[in-house]
Amino acid sequence: MKRLLPLGLGLGIAAWLLPYGLDGYAMHVVDVAVVFALLGIGLGLVMGVAGQVNLAQVAFFGIGAYTCAILTTRAGLGFWVAAALALLAAVLIGLIVSIPALRVQSHYLGIVTLGLALAFLNWVTNAGVAGKSEGISDLPVPPMFGIDLSSDYLFYYVEIIVFAIALAFALFVVRAPLGRRLRAMRDDSLAAAALGAEIPLLRITAFVLSGLYGGVAGVLYAGLIRYVAPETFSIANMFLLLAMVIIGGRQSIVGCVLGAVVLSLIREVLVDFSVYAQLGYGTVVVLMVVFAPTGLAGLPALWLRRFRASQGRAELHSFVPYGEARAPEPGRVALEIREVSKRFKGLLALDRVSMTVTDGEIRGVVGPNGSGKTTLFNIVSGFYACEVGRVLLSGEDVTGFRPYRLSQAGVARTFQNLRLFGDLTVRENILVALDRTRTAWIWRYLVRPLAVVRQSRDLGRQADELLERFGLAEFAAAQPRALPYGIQRRVEIARAMAMGPRLLLLDEPAAGLNGEEVRRLAEIVRALRDSGVTVVIIEHNMGLVMSLCDRVTVLSSGRVIADGPPREVAAVPEVIEAYLGESTYLSLPGDVSQEAGR
Amino acid sequence: MQVFLQTLVGGIGFGAVYALVAMGFSIVYRTMGLVNFAHGSVVMIGAYTASTFSMAGRLPFPLAIAVAIVVTGLVGLIIERVLRPLEGRDFDLMLIGTIGFGTVLEALAILIWGATGHAVPSPVAAAPVDILGIRIRTYSLVVIVVAAAATVLLALFLQRTKRGVAMQAAAMDPQAATAVGIHVGRSNAIAFAIGAGLAALAGGLIGPMLYVSPTMGGSLGIKGFAAAIIGGFGNIPGAILGGLAFGILDSFAAGTFQGYSELVVFVVFAVAIMIRPTGIFGERTVNRA
Amino acid sequence: MSTLTVEGLGLRYGGVRAVHDVAFSVAAGEAVGIIGANGAGKTSTLKAIMGLAPRTAAVLRYGERDLNRTPAHQVVRAGIGYVPEGRHVFPGLSVENNLLLGAYTRSWRRISFDQVYGLFPVLAEMRHRLAGALSGGQQQMLAIGRALMSQPRLILLDEPSMGLSPKLVEDILAVLKRLNEDGTAILLVEQNAKLTFEVTTRSLVMENGEIAMTGTSQALRGDPKVRRIYLGL
Repeated sequence: MKRLLPLGLGLGIAAWLLPYGLDGYAMHVVDVAVVFALLGIGLGLVMGVAGQVNLAQVAFFGIGAYTCAILTTRAGLGFWVAAALALLAAVLIGLIVSIPALRVQSHYLGIVTLGLALAFLNWVTNAGVAGKSEGISDLPVPPMFGIDLSSDYLFYYVEIIVFAIALAFALFVVRAPLGRRLRAMRDDSLAAAALGAEIPLLRITAFVLSGLYGGVAGVLYAGLIRYVAPETFSIANMFLLLAMVIIGGRQSIVGCVLGAVVLSLIREVLVDFSVYAQLGYGTVVVLMVVFAPTGLAGLPALWLRRFRASQGRAELHSFVPYGEARAPEPGRVALEIREVSKRFKGLLALDRVSMTVTDGEIRGVVGPNGSGKTTLFNIVSGFYACEVGRVLLSGEDVTGFRPYRLSQAGVARTFQNLRLFGDLTVRENILVALDRTRTAWIWRYLVRPLAVVRQSRDLGRQADELLERFGLAEFAAAQPRALPYGIQRRVEIARAMAMGPRLLLLDEPAAGLNGEEVRRLAEIVRALRDSGVTVVIIEHNMGLVMSLCDRVTVLSSGRVIADGPPREVAAVPEVIEAYLGESTYLSLPGDVSQEAGR
Repeated sequence: MQVFLQTLVGGIGFGAVYALVAMGFSIVYRTMGLVNFAHGSVVMIGAYTASTFSMAGRLPFPLAIAVAIVVTGLVGLIIERVLRPLEGRDFDLMLIGTIGFGTVLEALAILIWGATGHAVPSPVAAAPVDILGIRIRTYSLVVIVVAAAATVLLALFLQRTKRGVAMQAAAMDPQAATAVGIHVGRSNAIAFAIGAGLAALAGGLIGPMLYVSPTMGGSLGIKGFAAAIIGGFGNIPGAILGGLAFGILDSFAAGTFQGYSELVVFVVFAVAIMIRPTGIFGERTVNRA
Repeated sequence: MSTLTVEGLGLRYGGVRAVHDVAFSVAAGEAVGIIGANGAGKTSTLKAIMGLAPRTAAVLRYGERDLNRTPAHQVVRAGIGYVPEGRHVFPGLSVENNLLLGAYTRSWRRISFDQVYGLFPVLAEMRHRLAGALSGGQQQMLAIGRALMSQPRLILLDEPSMGLSPKLVEDILAVLKRLNEDGTAILLVEQNAKLTFEVTTRSLVMENGEIAMTGTSQALRGDPKVRRIYLGL
């Protein structure tokens, strides 16, 4: 961060001096490019960072510009009052457009937002108040303490100050815990929810932010051009904006700015060959998504990775047990599942399953494929609604809680097929889980940024401690998917523990691990239990279950067929039958008589 | 009543075209899980090719459409080939890639045919027919009949031919399809070409009803896509129903709300999708998590 | 007469080692079983043979055919039928179309369903029904029937007993025995050891992606070690 300061300062000075080297036309082009850069930041935030396919960004832009135009020319408001109201309008529209995102994602969201953008366009081309297809001209020059902002040169300075603040805020948000949560949601919304992220609120936040940036861009555009017309906000321009963000690199705010500036300049240069320009950027977008999905901003990282791969390997260190142990209260019930049933399209996946896990216990859940083990986990962690039965956590009824609420109540889980956030580093994966604040806390980003910085620093320290404890310190900066599978498994457990849970659900933690890794896993799980966490573990590796678990619950066809200490359970005829086909078929030497007697 | 029925029939005419567009979307989505945002532009290319060959090339209208189907089929194959590396990996990237293709196709159309576009004379010169006192444009009837015939042919192809059945199988379960000997990649490419061919048919048919221009693909594609979603994505009967629903909604909105029809149509669509994200026949989960 | 020969077979999903250094062979007309608990790598072994997952193998051949160089959709043409785990019939297609697809590599002009309908009369009754509307047992029969339509000399079956009632399991068992008596080689993957031993002459027991023990089914049947491997004792 410190190294970047001189760079930023240098760029700032360069930007300040830029007008001295430009003629009037070039100045105008740069002014427009800055507006597009703002739009690019907004789109980068919602699409690149939060992963919401938003094709209505151009409408946010339009709302800002048109509100400003209508309020100044039709209602006679002063420019800056109108501008403030325009921002409010854009944010409001962002809020409204986010509603579909709560229900649908991906291409569905793309088509809905595109449809809403078309609806906006349709309104401005038809409404008398918006000047129909001619648009609104003769907007007032924004007053500024006697400075004549009708000059493109002077307006540039207004723009560049606004832009600097907007860019700084965007960078701040992306690097702060909020941005991390947004990126986590983008990579895997289910896992993010399991870590306590309030997905709906985060999606709304993303759209509100993009609305805000669209509105700011719109206001500046209205002040700069002082004329608004529908074609500026056309779908073609939406796709141009998209191209800017994709080519620049959607996941990097700086990349989005870069793409926006470069493409608007190229568009100006090729203004007489606009069709060829369109052909060109369309082709580049296609090539980019296939060959360089992270855009221009991602190229250095791609090269760096190739470079780093040739360097020495990091080492996995052993786990350091937690020092202070919370003594479990014997007999106290940590988790109680009462008569839970779950049906999928006529198939009874769970049939009145009951199970009681006491405090400080390691409980194994085993059973043949399709016996309902993961379904049970999904109900306990809130991913499936539970229609019949109750789930109690330390006596408190948590039936039907959403995943984020269960996470806040102290339930952590891992997933059968690892759900680490692929584009976040190992340390960031941990940080997402460490952050226990509610999403509503984000008002501080606007009002008390210093408090955010302090919290951020605190989390960082805790993350380093945790990474050290799990022996993962040397992998802190690595992306999980580049790591060996065994290490990814450990990262996932560390991430679950970062939430400081009371109850830890492990779904096949030994799958894909070799013998030594399984042994270390057992050590870690025991140490976690000793630190006061109750553990429920689904596992196929029977050797691990037998040696690790205090009690084992056996499911078969959605029903509990046995429950008790491992050795006892392994001798129950129903269990052997569920596994082998028939209980008496494969007998141990001791009970040969049984077979002979038949 | 008179007006109502006329609007209804007009709406069904447009709806038939939307249904063709929606079927193209669906068949591609079903086989590859790819949402082709360039589909609207493919419709536009189809419209241009068909009208150029029938007006300047003096080919009979049906033959011109056939040429257009071949041309867009090739375009479809190219799109599929280029984006194949992303298949099943990053859904959003594929979506953006197809938007890029749409941009390219639009630019190509401007380069070849110019930016202004042209009107296409109706290939059937007959006066409007009177049925039970309702005057109906003959061409609307032609469109409905052709679209219906194309739908039946497509259904027969999918149900009755070896290639068609195999294509469905490849869409339902690629692994099992591979195990019985189907080349899934080839099957997908053919599905893409058929989807593009349907787009050309839709474009060729709608040419005389609208004005053919490089930007016509935008709103047509979005409406076709919306129709496919409303019907339940990836579902052929749903696509037909969704298309008709959209055509009828469109023509009534045009009558009632005049210029604001598009606004009304898209707001209704947005609300509908929020109430029932999986569409009328849809059972697939929306969130592919 | 063709023998399936597998040597040094390995398979990884991402970083997970699902199968490691597996070797065995199935002679023409033989019936071999692979048993083991969940996650032991049985299904992966079959997928690797079929080319449905990226695999590595020192030797992987069926008769004269080098399966290492055969693309997945060509494996069936070598004479190998596959019944996937969880049946995987084509749910939106009719029973008859499912069976026809089984014969995808043959001409559909002179196709006969007699063999399959003879083995599973219920499929003949249901031939116009959608496969997705069948019961689990009927779907399993359809999956086996589909594999038989390619007239394979070797058939790979993955957990045909999963989720079926004991009565249905007996039916399927009888069919497998009949097929084997008629000269079709069988490679049966099962969790259900009892069923496997009844059909096969030889079996392999897998554990953690490797072959833990092999022997005649007769010998394994009484071996307590099998149960230990299953239950992790």
